[in-house]
Parts: sequence; structure tokens; C-alpha cells
Amino acid sequence: MKEFFKKPIFPIITASVSLVLAIGIMVAAGVSFVKCWDVPMPIEGPNVTEVKMLSEWYDGLKDGPGDTPVYVLKGEGDGGAMLILGGTHGNEPSGYMSAVTFIETAIIENGTVYVIPYTNISSMTHNDPGEGNLQYFTLQTKSGERIFRFGSRATNPIHQWPDPDVYTHHPSGQQLSGSETRNINRAYPGREDGTLTEQIAFGIAELIRTEDVGITFDLHEASPEYPVINATVAHQDAMTIASEGCINLLLSGIDMALEQSPTNFHGLTHRELGDYTDTMAILMETANASQGRLRGGTSEEQVLGGVDDYYLYSESIGMLFVPWDENHHPIEERCGRHLQGIYEYTMAYNNAYPDKIVTYSGVPSYQELFLDADKEDLGGTQLGKFLR
Amino acid sequence: MSIELITFIVMLGTFLLGCFLCKLPIGISMVLASVAGALIGGQGVPVVHLVEGMFAYVDTILVIATAMIFMRVIQESGTLDAICATIVERFHKVPALMLIMIMVIIMFPGMITGSSTAAVLSAGSIMAPVLMMMGVPILETAVILSLGGMLGMIAPPTNLPAMIMCGGVDIPYSGFTLPLILLTFPLAFAFVLVLGLKHVKKMNYAEVRAKLNTEVRKKYGFKIYIPLILVVVLMVLNTAVPAIPDMGMPLVFLICSGVGCFTGRKFNILKVSKNAIQSVLPVMGILMGVGMFIQVMTLTGVRGLIVTSCLSLPSWARYIALSTSIPLFGSVSAFGSASVLGVPFVLSFLAKNEIIVVSALSLIASLGDMMPPTAMAGIFAAQVVGMKDYKQIMKKCLLPCLIILVWGVIFILAANFLEPFIVFH
Repeated sequence: MKEFFKKPIFPIITASVSLVLAIGIMVAAGVSFVKCWDVPMPIEGPNVTEVKMLSEWYDGLKDGPGDTPVYVLKGEGDGGAMLILGGTHGNEPSGYMSAVTFIETAIIENGTVYVIPYTNISSMTHNDPGEGNLQYFTLQTKSGERIFRFGSRATNPIHQWPDPDVYTHHPSGQQLSGSETRNINRAYPGREDGTLTEQIAFGIAELIRTEDVGITFDLHEASPEYPVINATVAHQDAMTIASEGCINLLLSGIDMALEQSPTNFHGLTHRELGDYTDTMAILMETANASQGRLRGGTSEEQVLGGVDDYYLYSESIGMLFVPWDENHHPIEERCGRHLQGIYEYTMAYNNAYPDKIVTYSGVPSYQELFLDADKEDLGGTQLGKFLR
Repeated sequence: MSIELITFIVMLGTFLLGCFLCKLPIGISMVLASVAGALIGGQGVPVVHLVEGMFAYVDTILVIATAMIFMRVIQESGTLDAICATIVERFHKVPALMLIMIMVIIMFPGMITGSSTAAVLSAGSIMAPVLMMMGVPILETAVILSLGGMLGMIAPPTNLPAMIMCGGVDIPYSGFTLPLILLTFPLAFAFVLVLGLKHVKKMNYAEVRAKLNTEVRKKYGFKIYIPLILVVVLMVLNTAVPAIPDMGMPLVFLICSGVGCFTGRKFNILKVSKNAIQSVLPVMGILMGVGMFIQVMTLTGVRGLIVTSCLSLPSWARYIALSTSIPLFGSVSAFGSASVLGVPFVLSFLAKNEIIVVSALSLIASLGDMMPPTAMAGIFAAQVVGMKDYKQIMKKCLLPCLIILVWGVIFILAANFLEPFIVFH
């Protein structure tokens, strides 16, 4: 046997077998990665009047990987314009699932609502290396089983690469680690001749400027150990509206913190869209168990049910900024917070700007999505009941 | 015993079995450990996750490959001989100053790129012959290179572990300059003087001068230095003029390697490139394996187990936990350690000045570059000076690494006291 290993043919055989194995693995993984490029879209709801592309506001994005659908929901009555940004970060599912739910259920009475379910659609086409995330999760909806993508925090590197060592934000000059160059929530207000991520941010800002969007919501999730959680962050110009909305949320039993956007931290929607457009910029965060560094093993139950025993334990050692118990934080609670938040802040906006009101109905409330649900329906089933 | 703990034990066991009993390459052992961990963790053989994990290190691998080609090019073309002769001739009369200058030069690429690999393979490879020519033994030279690389990646302006932690807790990367200077430069100067001065002082200049290769410099003149000047210019270009896009370290090294083909002695670039890549293949394999290892740790919940175990300790023990866990986790990646453990530790020290805490944690994270199996700073320093094994370098670095660790912990302990003196926005 030893003689065989010494023969000159042995290295050739091992090299050939290794090569074939490598090609096999490459093809299998490659097919799986390419499938992720196909991002499932919302089903048009009762009041979707038009589906445009972001490139209609900034044509530099046309037919490129950053061009993303914008669902226009126009009411019969006059009013102002509102923008909902879901999917700023592809690994924060309640952000884009709330936007999808709004598109599939809302009936607009006054004004126009623009909803972008996947703000950085490129981030939905891949996963973050090292994070061991799911590629997909499924929900049972009115039309049967639907598949949704679980994406990444940042633009796909096949669309924007390489990262610089240091990312310098335009126009503030603030420096961040190089990988943040693909994070759209560090790229605002964006620029026409910038990176793909900056161009998408510029497109969003152009939409706001062109359509005279009065109020903008950016829907996020955060890891439970992150200090800004179950919170709203608002630009200083939006603080009056945000304060009124926040009080109403608290009165309806939703524990919501309110913070003013820091003036020295740049690139985020609540800072730059407030500074560079006339919109009232508001960002909301919920608690996502599948996002943090303290989390346990990856599972669909973790993504949708928010179930994670490591977070339960982390609560007991005082590491979390959000209460955690055996009920965990299911997707219904997280989407319910976002959708109720949009409602209350919009009502406050309407009070402040009666000539630019936006009114709507049909969108499930926090009560309907979460509080009224049977416990066994939490973790996807209850949310699926509202989706088409 | 939780399934995560069992998975972790199986992963470690498989890795050690592969390395020491089966004598497999480290990279292959890490692949096997990842597969075993995924199987025990109930994830089957997750081909997609294993491949995805590898992608975490694509950029690092490109930097390593191209930096090594650059190093070989400047060796073959004679640039190293020329610069070595010039430095020794000019500065041999002021050895302490020269050693400090050499240390700053070694640190410089790390300061600009945030990579210890870039520092050791570029400036380190240039300064190693100078140090050895002046009488610093090969082992001490390699240690100076390793420490210079590690401290260079932490010194301002570019400190990637700190930036990663800032991103994790959403604080701007500003106000870090003075804390980082105080954390790195005093140590760097002390280390180089302690390790090198006694040897340099004994230098017999006449003997050394005879060994210097001044022929290349005479033959090719100023143009022999062009690859070096160009690499410095391209590295600082984006920092000095942010409007010019950052072309990335791999491209910088490739451009300068290309230029190096025409500025000195003639050589076969294909052969040199092939040899360069061959010499770093094991390291690139390790990084691929490390990527899979981290991915499976996260996928199976082992990462959560490690992080929560560290954070669950009482506050006094937390200092011990960070002093051990951050460098140990750095054995898979210093940057990974900054992200996975650094961020939760910053959050656990929110009562202290976060800029000083982040700066100090980044210094401690840099120790990961001396931890096997990756031990990037040690491995590349050994390659640069021509040592077959980096174990001796590791032994010699033990005390300096402990000093780095203690220095970092002191800064965290005294963060609020130091804040008014060293943090300016």
C-alpha cells in the first residue's frame, strides 16, 4: 500500500479528485446563491394604483441591481405624501414584512403613500458571511405558502466591490469601517456619481424631493443587546410629531422610547433625509433575536417567533436593552409595533399639517396582529392571515 | 450539558485530532471541524454555509497574495538591498533614533491600511534586512516585525477593529487619535529599543559596510526606489485626498509589483509570482477554514454560548474574560474577535468612556494576530526573515503580548479618569 502512495500517479489522482469535489461544491453552492437573486415581491393590495421603479426618480439606477419597486397607493381624497422604507437592511425582517403588509392591506382615503418594500434590494440577494443566517423563511398566507428572503445588512459585493479600508461619508467626511460603505443607512443623502449604495440613497432623496413627501418612515430591527431598541429616532424637525405619536403609542400599551437624531452621526435616514429634504424623518427599531451576537443557533423559529434561549439567559444577566421572557418577541409583535407606529405618527402629522393629511384604513393594528392573536398563532401564522 | 457546548467540544476535538494526530494541514482540519460541528448541531453538511463562510476572507486573501508578490518583486529587483544600504549608511551613528525610525516605518502600512499583514509583508520585509545587517538577531528581528505589524494596525489613523466596534454600537470613529497614539507608540518604541538597541550598539560599521550591496543603487540610481515610493503614495492617496477613490490594497501591490519589474535587476515575474503564492497558500487555506469555522459556530449557536459565557461573569472577572477570550477568539480572526466579542464588551462597559474602551479593546484584539493557528503577524514575520517555524517568535513575543494586554486593561480600568486628558472631539 505504501508503495502506491509513493507512485507519481498518486498526487495526480488526489489532485483530480479534489478538483472534481471543489467544482461540485462550487456548482451546488453557486446555484443556491444565484436563486437568492430572485427576491419575492409583495402581492398588490386593494389600493395599489401603480408600481414604479426607483429609477423613475433617478435614472442612473435604471435596470441596475439597485433599481427597486416603489408601490404607489393613491387615495381618492386630496392630501399629502408619505413614504415607508422597508428593507433598508435585509436581515431585519419586520422592517420589510411591515412594508409588505401595508402594501397588501392598506386602503388610502386621503393623500398618497409610497412604499418601498426593499429599499436596498441588492442587500436582499445575499447573506452576510460569518453570520450563518437563513436564506428563506415561509409564511402560510391567504393564497397559500409564500416564501420570503432573509437578506444581508449591506449591498451585495457582486454589485459593489471592493470595500475601501475606510469609508468616508459624503458630504460630512465622517469615517467608518470600510464595510459600512455598502450600508445604505450610512449613505444618505447619497450622490449621483457615488457608489451603488450612495446612488440608491440619492434616488430615495430625489423621490422625497420630487413628490414633496411630508413624512418618511424607515423601518428597522436591532439586536436585543443594542441600546437603541423598541425606540423611535426622529430628526429634530420631526420631534413635535414624534412626541405626540409616541405618547399615543404609550397610551395604547406599546412601550416606545423616543430619541432625537444625533447631529454628529451621519449617513442615517433620520439625520440626512431631515437635513437634505423637507420630509419629517422618523426611524423605528424593534427587537430581532436573529440579528445579535448573543443569539443561539439559527432557525426559522428564531427569525419569526423571536425564540432564543440565549437571549432569555442574557436578560437574566442584565445584558439586554429590551425586556425578554418566555413569550420572546414574535414577528407579529414587531410588525405590529411598526404598523401602529406608522399610524400614530401619521395621525400626529395630520394634526400638525391639516392641509397635507394622509389617512388610511385596512392595515392591521398592534391589537389585531399581536394582542388578539392566539398564542400558538404567533411566530408567523397570525401575520400570514393578513397577507394575500 | 447544552448541545452548543457539545458541538463546541466536538469542533475543537476534531480540529486538534486533524492537526496533531492525522498531521493534516490546519486549513483542512478546520474544514473537518466545521463539518463535524454542523453535523452535531443538527445542520447536516451545510455546503452553502461552508462556502459562504469562506467568502468572509476573500479580501484578506487578495491582500496577502498580492503583498507577498510585491515583497518578492522588491527582493528580486534589488530594491531591498538598495534601501538597506542607504538606511545603514545614513543613520548608523544614531542607533536608538534609527531603531525608532525603523519601527515607525514598519508600523506605517498598518497605520494606513489597518492590516498587520500589509505592514509585515511590505515595510517589514524592507526593514528586516536592515535590522539584521546591523546585528539584530533573526529571532529578535522577526519579533520586532510582528509587534510592529500588530501595533501598526491599531495606531491611528486607520484602526479597523475599532471601526468595527464603532459600527456595532453606532458611535462615530472620531476622537480616537490621541488614545490610540498613547496605546501604541510608547509600547512600540519600548519594544524596539529593548529588543534591538543592545545588538545595534555592538555593530562594527566597517564590517557591516563591507556587506552592504551598493551596486544596485549605483547601477539603477533613483529609479530603484520607485516601487517603494509608489506604494507609499498609493497607500496614502485616498487618506490625503478623499475625493480620489480608494483603489484597495491588492491593486496597489499589483501596480507596484508591475512597476518593480522595470526599475532594477531583471527577473522572471511569473516564476516569482508563482513562488510567492505557493509560500502563502497554507495561510490562505487556514483563512478559508477559519471562515467556515466561524460560520458553523454562529449557525449552531456556539458563538452565542461563548459570548454569553464571557459576559455572564461578575464585573471583576469580566476583565479576565476579555483578556483571554478576545485574544483567543482572535486566533480565528482579530477582526472577527472585535466584532463578535468586542462589541458586546463595549456594551457591557457603557458606564465608561466608550472611545477609550473601544481603543483599548482594539489593542487587545490585535493580539489575535499572534494567536495560532492563524497568527498572521507571526507567520509572515517568520517568512520575511526566512525562519521555517514561527513557534520561537511566539515564545519571544509572549512577554510583549502580556505587556500589551496589561496596557489595554489599564486604559479600560482608568477610562473615566483619562477621558478629560486624552479624548478631544
